[in-house]
Amino acid sequence: MVVGAEADAVVAEAKTMNTFADKVGLGWRSDLAAGIFSHLDRIDLLEVVADDFFDAPRREVRALQTLAAQVPVVLHGVGMGLASSVPIENKCLERMARLFEQVRPQFWSEHLAFVRGGGLEIGHLAAPPRSLETVEGAAENLSRAAALVGTKPIMENIATLIDPPGSTLSESAWISGILASSDCDLLLDLHNVYANGLNHGYDPKAFLRQIPAARFQAIHIAGGKFISAPDGTQRLLDDHLHDVPDPVFDLLEEAAALSPNPLTVILERDGAYPSMDCLLAQIDLARRALARGRARRTVAEEVFV
Amino acid sequence: MSARAFEAFLTRIYVDAAARARFKANPHAEARSAGLSDEECAALENTDWVGLEMAARSFAHKRDLKRKNHVRISFKNVLRNLFTAFSGRPYRH
Repeated sequence: MVVGAEADAVVAEAKTMNTFADKVGLGWRSDLAAGIFSHLDRIDLLEVVADDFFDAPRREVRALQTLAAQVPVVLHGVGMGLASSVPIENKCLERMARLFEQVRPQFWSEHLAFVRGGGLEIGHLAAPPRSLETVEGAAENLSRAAALVGTKPIMENIATLIDPPGSTLSESAWISGILASSDCDLLLDLHNVYANGLNHGYDPKAFLRQIPAARFQAIHIAGGKFISAPDGTQRLLDDHLHDVPDPVFDLLEEAAALSPNPLTVILERDGAYPSMDCLLAQIDLARRALARGRARRTVAEEVFV
Repeated sequence: MSARAFEAFLTRIYVDAAARARFKANPHAEARSAGLSDEECAALENTDWVGLEMAARSFAHKRDLKRKNHVRISFKNVLRNLFTAFSGRPYRH
């Protein structure tokens, strides 16, 4: 683990090598508050789960506003279910619009998922059938979301343990179709790409080359664990309770080499919190991976010119 | 049959263990009884059965966590309301 002056040197070196103005931040969790406030010099921004504040008392929203005044903040929604043929309720969008107005984040994001159907709540993000119908439904929902909130969301690819039934499109074609028809950018979750690649038999690096890199705006990195399937095999669960594995940093380097945009990278951790030094070390590894990818991109551009 | 009905069917087999068991025992009949088309019924016969069971388990775990969190928040709200009612002052955490 890299600590103290050595860590400062790593960050300085990675920032010098990276001329793309990429940022690396952390998901805001109240359990991490003390560690975050003690290390704001090494955290470029914070991602706040918007749903936690939709029904929060006014003083909690005021606290979030105070936080946003000190550190750049982005809002992340988890419960809308925008990638669905079912129209999203105005109520969901209005709550996000209100919070967006109160907090003034750099951007807001949501998931390419459905979360309910036929009056039942799934309770988590589920992959809808990857079909033209859900591409159209997502595009309509995203258009309404942009109109009501006042700005388009950045949309995140999700992890799925099940290959979604009823799909007629590949995951990359489906995501590309939604981004093209909605004109939204992508929050590329690299652990989700890694997990889906392992669980459903595709090459994650090839996947990155099949989706439009010009749409990469933000990136999530996280960890997970292998769980046993009823047939004795194993699948990777994206639980955000473990450290970021090396292949995800390799994918981050790849994404940085492909993307022409400044990237906002967020480390997600939802529990089983390690020491703050451990989280900061992962942020430093992300900066290094970005710098490596950007260096490859620069060399490729020089060769091309 | 609409994509909306298909999503509703998926939701049901994700959250309802009995519906899932019936679907696994006879995919075509269960999908047909939900009003899905021949094409949709055929698509469901190729379901990733291992993934279905794992996803359903994961969703159930998430719902359980949410329920516990909801109970915790509700209890906090009850305390807040009682405090305000008896003291006449807003509750400060």
